[in-house]
Amino acid sequence: MVHCPPYGRVWALTLSVFFGGLLLSGCSDVGPRNVDALTLEVLHDPGGNLRAEEVHLRLAALDTLEGERPNLGSLTDAMWIRVSGWQGAPRQARIILDNPTLDSIEAMVIDGPRVLLRKQAGAAFGQVDDLIPTFSLPLNESHDLWFRVRSAKPLVLPFSLTQEDRVATLREKRDLAVALYTGIVLAILIYNCFLAFSTGQQAYFSYTFVVLTVGLVQWGFNGYDRLIWGHIPWLARNGLTMTGAASGLAALSFAREFLEVRRYTPRWNRIINVLLIVYSSAMVAALLGFPIVAYNLVNLGALSAPAMLALSLISWRKGNSPALWFFVAWLIFIVAVTMQALRDFGVLASTPFTALLLPLGTVIEMLLLSFALGDRINLLKRSSDTANAKALAASLENERIVKQQNAELEERVAQRTEALAAANADLSGALDELKGAQDQLIQTEKLASLGQMTAGIAHELNNPINYVQSNATSLRRDLEELIEIVDAHSDALAALAEGASGAAGLTDAAREKARKLDLGFLKEESRQLIAGILEGADRTARIVGGLRVFGRMDGDKPVEASLSDLLEASITVLGDRARSRAQIEVNLAEAVPPLYCQSGKLSQVFMNIIVNAVQATEGRWEEIEDRKVSVELDRVMDAHGKASAIIVKVRDNGTGMDEETRQRIFDPFYTTKEIGKGTGFGLSIVKGILDDHGATIRVESRLGEGTAFILTFPLDIVTNPNSEAA
Amino acid sequence: MAEDIIRVLYLDDEEPNLFSFKAAFRRDFEVHTCDEPHKAVRMLDEHEFHVVLSDQRMPRISGVEFFELIMPDHPDISRVLVTGYADTDAVVDAINKGQVYRFVSKPWNEEELRGVIKAAYALNRSRVSSALQGHQVLSALDGFAEELGRCAADLAAGGDGAVESVGAELRNLQARMVDERTRYGKWMEEQKAKS
Repeated sequence: MVHCPPYGRVWALTLSVFFGGLLLSGCSDVGPRNVDALTLEVLHDPGGNLRAEEVHLRLAALDTLEGERPNLGSLTDAMWIRVSGWQGAPRQARIILDNPTLDSIEAMVIDGPRVLLRKQAGAAFGQVDDLIPTFSLPLNESHDLWFRVRSAKPLVLPFSLTQEDRVATLREKRDLAVALYTGIVLAILIYNCFLAFSTGQQAYFSYTFVVLTVGLVQWGFNGYDRLIWGHIPWLARNGLTMTGAASGLAALSFAREFLEVRRYTPRWNRIINVLLIVYSSAMVAALLGFPIVAYNLVNLGALSAPAMLALSLISWRKGNSPALWFFVAWLIFIVAVTMQALRDFGVLASTPFTALLLPLGTVIEMLLLSFALGDRINLLKRSSDTANAKALAASLENERIVKQQNAELEERVAQRTEALAAANADLSGALDELKGAQDQLIQTEKLASLGQMTAGIAHELNNPINYVQSNATSLRRDLEELIEIVDAHSDALAALAEGASGAAGLTDAAREKARKLDLGFLKEESRQLIAGILEGADRTARIVGGLRVFGRMDGDKPVEASLSDLLEASITVLGDRARSRAQIEVNLAEAVPPLYCQSGKLSQVFMNIIVNAVQATEGRWEEIEDRKVSVELDRVMDAHGKASAIIVKVRDNGTGMDEETRQRIFDPFYTTKEIGKGTGFGLSIVKGILDDHGATIRVESRLGEGTAFILTFPLDIVTNPNSEAA
Repeated sequence: MAEDIIRVLYLDDEEPNLFSFKAAFRRDFEVHTCDEPHKAVRMLDEHEFHVVLSDQRMPRISGVEFFELIMPDHPDISRVLVTGYADTDAVVDAINKGQVYRFVSKPWNEEELRGVIKAAYALNRSRVSSALQGHQVLSALDGFAEELGRCAADLAAGGDGAVESVGAELRNLQARMVDERTRYGKWMEEQKAKS
């Protein structure tokens, strides 16, 4: 979208400025007349040392000055000007020198070497309010009227002859024009100041400085700056230079901001920098006391005017549409300045209208720039609105995309969750299978130890049952023979009592029977047979009693049991699986307190460890006499003499194990036995049972020397294996 | 022959078993018992036994091992293994190697065990008598060989009447060989009838 400058407004503005200009020129239309009547002659005084009394001696060096606005240029020299041609003018007529920028003006009436009258004007003399000094005509027309003029600024000398009352009118109208100008500038200044603070745009701040400095410069041109700092001599002399340099700096800074030089025309930035340096140097020179140099530097800085013109045109061509405003404003300004210069050099007639061209030009420039700024701000706002709209659209699109992505993401999360749940189910299934396998293995181990037990129990029980049964049979036979003897004797006794004839024979027969059947031996044998039966019954009862310990292999109910009994029962039940294979030394300390435990499970632990010990000795020794296993039971006392723990030690002189095996024996599935001989679960179960009882198991072993299993059951810890095993 | 006294030795580490055994079989056999394997070996060396029984499970030595120990010196004794628990592998092995005649499990059946002991005795007798017959036949053959040698020497020496006397001796030898043949044939028939 191409931005069109609001041309209607431009024309309205131009018209209003034009009519304003007409009004101002009307105000100024009181310019002095009869100027042509005056003749000006100039005398150079390079050192400024010429005294008024000596002037008449230098009349030969006088040069005639031409033109109504003679311009001597910028000089440090003092200038003596003899004004003539006023002779014949009315008494009330006055000479005026309408150049308020002149630092010092001395008017003198000289008659040969005598100075009759002297009047001073200009900032150098501290005169701050008399901006259009008037000088009375000498009373004697033969006397000379001299002006000594000295200034750091161009010596433009618009002398004129006018009537006194018209001077006052001129002053009033001048004041009015400057007030109008000042009003316009102030309005623009305040308006832009307000805009600067309300928009916060850097360009407005720069612009307010431009307006301020340009206004001050115009004041300076009309000498009104003296009202502000005329009482400070240095400022009175250099104020215009300083404000001129400051306005240059401000204008260049503003141009850089407004035209966005870095963006559109980066090469011009360097040129602007050079010009900025020129203006800065001017200020420095003024401060260092070189007012002429400073003034010329400011004039050099005027090159920035065409530069800005070219720059704005180029910027506009590059698409920076507000640059056109700038171009027009500067064009008007330059035209005004050029016309002022032409007027100063006498090319253009010095009319009240031409005198107003420069301030009018600056006003138009300022107004145009002001509008340009507004337009630019609008443009910025529009582009910002467009950008906002674009950003909004983009963010809406983003939101839509994000929503879509969210939906996709949710879907994927749902899919993943489902997959995870499935995987979880698979895993828990696998875990269940594993647990099942483990349970089965544990069951196998239980059955294996049950098998070992059964074999031992069968052998242990068969022996007593054998002799109980056999003795009973033998006893019956003995009994029959005894009864036979008793019968024979009772028959003989009966016959004796009846006094029967065969009584003696019967008695002999009975005696013979008793001798033949060996009655004495029968009596003794019967007694021994009965003793054997009793012993067998007793032994059977003892084994079964021991078996009760194993009756609850799976029984989880903890009971108070004597580890001594459990160990004995275990060894008994193992029977010749232990005793006929190795020398088993059992050393059970008395007064070992009972333990609250799962007795069946602990018996399983003891049997497992003892059988392992026996097997370890078998692997090392050929002869049973060499295979040694010791089972010890003892208690540990604490400091107060109370039993704190029970220790069971099973030691063998078998093969022993290396460190690696020792560390792995409690691992499930680890076995050193041949495949099929061990489940690899025995010691793992042992460990589990002991853990349930809060007991520890320690293994000391050395390869080729033997192994010791040391089980410690703490008594001070109240354990409840039931709850843990549940 | 059934009236012969059968001498039996029973080895078991558990004394009540020994007593029971004796009480059960003292009326049928001459029963000796022992609870130590090395004592049993000594008893076997000192007396003649027909049947020896041993428990399989004993400390230090098993029944099969004990039988292996005594076999070289007493090959004819019948060996019977008694055990409280069927240690099948060991028993099968022992029977296959011929170390054990019979296997009896505890608790024993008295009648059955009596029969086993009697059969074992019979086996022992037959082994012993076979060995005896072998000895007799061999010594007879030795005698015949010796006499034949003497006849040959006489014949070589020659002399009056040598032919007649050698001839008479050979006829005598023939008659004795026929007698020996008849006697062995009779023993063989007896053995066959027994089994």
